[in-house]
Formats: sequence, C-alpha cells, structure tokens
Amino acid sequence: MSGVTLYVALVAFGALAGVASGLLGVGGGTLMVPFLTLAAGLSQHAAEATSLLVILPTAVVGTLTLHRRRIGDAGLALRFGVVGAIAAVGGALLALALPAATLRIVFAAFVGCVGLKLIYDGRRSPEQPA
Amino acid sequence: MRALEASSGAARARSGLLRLDRELIVIGILGGLLSGLLGVGGGIVMVPLLVLWARYGQREAHAASLGAIIPISIAGIATYGIAGQVKVGPAIALAVGSVFGARVGAGLLVGIDERLLKIVFGLFLVGVAVLLTTHR
Repeated sequence: MSGVTLYVALVAFGALAGVASGLLGVGGGTLMVPFLTLAAGLSQHAAEATSLLVILPTAVVGTLTLHRRRIGDAGLALRFGVVGAIAAVGGALLALALPAATLRIVFAAFVGCVGLKLIYDGRRSPEQPA
Repeated sequence: MRALEASSGAARARSGLLRLDRELIVIGILGGLLSGLLGVGGGIVMVPLLVLWARYGQREAHAASLGAIIPISIAGIATYGIAGQVKVGPAIALAVGSVFGARVGAGLLVGIDERLLKIVFGLFLVGVAVLLTTHR
C-alpha cells in the first residue's frame, strides 16, 4: 500500500486499535506493530518506535475518559508506570541491540496460556456486580 | 466478591518506592521491559498480572494498565527517538484514528460485564499468541 490509500488504512486501523486499547487496557501495539511492518512496510525497529508514539496519546485519552467516569485510580497507575518507564528504556535499548525471536515465542506461550485461563475463569465464575 | 477484591487491591498498604506494592513494582518493570522491547504498550502482560497476581478486578486492572502505559510509552519514544527510528507521518495517521477509538473503547469498559470483559480479553490474548507464533 502507498500514498492516500495507506493513510486512510492507517486511520481506520488506528480506530480499531484505539477501541481495543480503551476497552482492554492495552496500548494496541500488539495490533499496530504487525500492521506497520506488513501494510506500511516499516522495519521492525521503526514499527516498534512508531507504535509507541501512537500508544501515548491513545493511553492519555483512554485514561482521561476512565478518570472522568471514576474507573480506576489514575494517580496510582501513573506512579506504577514511572517504575515501568525505567524498565522501558532498558527494553528499548535491548531491542535496538538484539533480535528478539526467542523472546517472541516465550511471550506468545505466556500470552496464550493466560488468555485460555481468563476465558475459562470468565465462563465459570458467577455473575458479578460491576 | 470480585468487586471487594478490586477495592482492597487498590487500597492495600503502599510503602517503599513511590508508595507502591511490591506486586505493582514488579508488574511495572515487566510491562515496561516488554513495552520497550516489542514496541507495545505492555498492557498485555500488566493486565493479566494485575488480575491473577495483584488480585485486581478485571475492569480496575484495565484502567490501571492504561494509566501506567503513559509514562512507559514516553520513555520508549524517547529511547527510540534518539535512535532515529520514529516515523512521524504514519504515527499521526494511526493516532487520529486511535484517539477517537480509545474514547469509544474506554466508554465500553465503563459498562461492560466483568465476565464478558474477561472472555473478550482472553480471546484477544489467544489471538495475539496465534499471531505471534504464525507470523514471520
């Protein structure tokens, strides 16, 4: 894809990733990074960097929306994110230095097992108040 | 019951670094490491750990993760930015869509049944796991 088509696709895909982000509490990078490499032709490193630049405003808007609706503790979330930020610098430096193929498989196995457990819990547990 | 767990999880004694529970510090570090390494938000690892380890309710975990992603992504952008890897054009196009989408998604999170939310998040994780193992 190139030119206008690509940018229209990027906006549309961004909207999808944004909904996933706000609802699922994730950044949306798991969706955007593959899209940026496959559809937009970015390198893995450029896709990861670009994804993070999208994640920031998305997380800010999602957090503001939830804060206004009194869901969660934004102050606590930001403080624990600051700890994560230190680790993020380390992770990014590691990514810039290394190929991460093995980690991807370990990560996939972890994510798959947790996903199955959550589906199982969700189907099994009784109705809960909101 | 789960709602009680959620509130106790959020209100537990906070001490040490930034007045945070040990669980939150470890989860923040893991989320940040993953975020920087894979260019994702880190929520995919923080949300499950907040629910299964720190005993947050599903909805509270999603909100906490989203907030934590803000400082985490700033650090990642700075690091990749110094390395000259950030592509501003595609980022702006994606962000135009995703900022709109985030309002919709967060609005859905406010009202959704916790069980349904668990299942939707679980399906998302399994989908990502399949994508990660098959793609490339």
